[in-house]
Amino acid sequence: MRETKCVAMILAGGQGSRLGALTKHIAKPAVPFGGKYRIIDFVLSNCTHSGIHTVGVLTQYQPLDLNTYIGSGQPWDLDRSRGGVYILPPYQKMGAGEWYRGTANAIYQNMGFIERFNPRYVLVLSGDHIYKMHYGKMLDMHKSTGAAATIAVIRVPINEASRFGIMSTDAAGRITDFAEKPQKPKNDLASMGVYVFDWQILKKYLILDEGNPQSQNDFGKNVIPQMLAAGEKLQAYNFDGYWKDVGTAKSLWEANMDLVRTPPRFDLYDPDWTIFSRTTAQPPHFTADSARISDSIVTEGCRIYGRVHESVLFRGVTVSRGARVCSSIVFPGASIEADANVENAIIGSGARVRRGADVRPEREGEICVVGDEAVVDAGIRSGTKRAAIGGI
Amino acid sequence: MQDTMGIILAESEDVNLRELTEVRSTAALPIGGRYRLIDFILSGLVNSGIINVGVATKYKYLSLMDHLGAGSHWDLQREHYGLFMLPPYANYEKYGGMAGDLDVLMGIMPYLRRSRQKYVVLAEANTVCNITFTEAMRRHKETEADITVIYREEQEEPSRFLMLETEADGRICDLAFRPQYSKSRKAAMDMYIMEKELLIRIIEGAAARGEHSFVMDALVRRQENFRMYGWEFKGYAGRVDSVASYFACNMDILREEVQTALFCGEDPIFTKVKNRVPTRYGDSADLSGCLVADGCVLEGSAENCIFFRGVKLGKHSHLQNCIVMEKTHIDTGCTAENVIFDKECLMREGRRLTGQPNYPIIIRKGAVI
Repeated sequence: MRETKCVAMILAGGQGSRLGALTKHIAKPAVPFGGKYRIIDFVLSNCTHSGIHTVGVLTQYQPLDLNTYIGSGQPWDLDRSRGGVYILPPYQKMGAGEWYRGTANAIYQNMGFIERFNPRYVLVLSGDHIYKMHYGKMLDMHKSTGAAATIAVIRVPINEASRFGIMSTDAAGRITDFAEKPQKPKNDLASMGVYVFDWQILKKYLILDEGNPQSQNDFGKNVIPQMLAAGEKLQAYNFDGYWKDVGTAKSLWEANMDLVRTPPRFDLYDPDWTIFSRTTAQPPHFTADSARISDSIVTEGCRIYGRVHESVLFRGVTVSRGARVCSSIVFPGASIEADANVENAIIGSGARVRRGADVRPEREGEICVVGDEAVVDAGIRSGTKRAAIGGI
Repeated sequence: MQDTMGIILAESEDVNLRELTEVRSTAALPIGGRYRLIDFILSGLVNSGIINVGVATKYKYLSLMDHLGAGSHWDLQREHYGLFMLPPYANYEKYGGMAGDLDVLMGIMPYLRRSRQKYVVLAEANTVCNITFTEAMRRHKETEADITVIYREEQEEPSRFLMLETEADGRICDLAFRPQYSKSRKAAMDMYIMEKELLIRIIEGAAARGEHSFVMDALVRRQENFRMYGWEFKGYAGRVDSVASYFACNMDILREEVQTALFCGEDPIFTKVKNRVPTRYGDSADLSGCLVADGCVLEGSAENCIFFRGVKLGKHSHLQNCIVMEKTHIDTGCTAENVIFDKECLMREGRRLTGQPNYPIIIRKGAVI
């Protein structure tokens, strides 16, 4: 049987409940990002640029949008006759049908898919991170160290370390300790949720983990600690580029703001590492006589008549005369009507901020979220909480 | 309109676009920020439900092929029919020098014969409009016309167009190509509907008599032979046959009512989609009345301009009434007025260029100022 070197499995079933109204109808990886992208574009583009052409995308929560978006995989050059991209939802099996219970269980349930390609290595990825990474380099290191698994790590501020899987390593980069979301982190080396496994070894541990009724079937909580306890060689791969977990409205907002700063902290304009996305033919965006745009990202199909500053506008957004959009993200098709004010906010797809309405967070440092298709009228002060729950 | 096929002639006769068509066919001329001329007629055919479209080329068709690819962006990448690129087939020298559109059509005869559709829409790719042919086709069948000529009421210069006069029921009683004076204002849009068998007869007849021009030899000279009807298109149409009309058409697209007519209706104008990042505005950017495609980095100011993909506009530069094609870089401190920058030009720091609205300056592809 022909051997595929590496199969990538992208975990894209998460609800992203901390994104509130933004993930009411779509899975977190399908959330728009950076003017014309969706979060999953980054990991898919990384696969393409890394020469990994066999990719499984594990979906579960609200998969319709994500499935439609990925489609045949053509925008990422993943529409292949050998390999390509596969959408892998949970399915009914002989005797039982079940949801994906955890990240490890999701891979376990798709062992048949992976076996079909007979890979040496399996790359397990998250579909909800923003970063540019050449997995080939990590794979090379994995091979040269002869590890059972290699985990990509990045240094994070120590006060945020308790949000991540934190590990300690020896001088050679071998992982000595791993703690998932520790209360008192010992270190600042965080797992990026990017794992390379030798498939035969991973298979063994997946079966072992599945047989343990106490397990939550999660890579960070169960499988990695189990491998470590069994004395397997786990290696850390240091990554020092830009990496952002956009799991909350605040971090999603921050990552978008990183694009509009001069110079941008995350560069989308690198010709050697294009981020691919599925786009439609929209007319160029129109900047009217009354418009004034600065430090912003604007996409095709927009019509701008008002003031836009430090913001990211997705396709087909209208900003009417006298309206003001500042430090905000406006998702596709939303309209900001005349004399409305939008500040430190995320406006959902197709939402309408009516004439004269004022959208901004109640407290300094917070982000106001207006849900998809929501309508905000003038006179209603839209605080974070009320807007996030189903939109106003 | 499954029983109709489309033929697009990529090269228009009698147009003068100077340097703009030095490296490309008329159909591949970039226009309106992210389109090429062919996008409008091709979208029109697709939006009418036509799934078999042949693009007949004469020369310089590399950029056109590059643009159209396999036709997937127009939903024409199909197992059955779809988009056919038809490079020149016949040996034009046999006919003595420059071949006309009838010679081009002669070259695509095998494709015409092989296609099983009954009707054909024959069109040139020289008009910016959002048109569908469903209604015209219905009328074509109703009037039992041999040929239906799509026209538009034009207010100016009959000498630019094929002019037609019609009776009350729409039947054409006179056709005149570029007359100095014309009683009617009905200007043909270089789009015709007829049965495919009739087109084949016309082409064969022309070849037998050594004729070359579809309009002159087949239509104008033989107008008595055919039962011809006119069908009026009432929307916006920008006809591109000269540098001045190209420039004017782009400036038209900057007007909001024209944008509405072209882009805001039910039928989209399709074009090649490229993976370009969105456009980035710097802190000193100041644009008004501009159309901007994706991938630009804008730090200067501009008024009434069209920016294609990947244009850079440096700080303290000011552009007015300019068309700036893909990947052209305008450095800092430049000024330009009424200038058409072709693709991949470079305007170095502090340079100045001034053209006139009726005589814009053209900067050739790849030029460095």
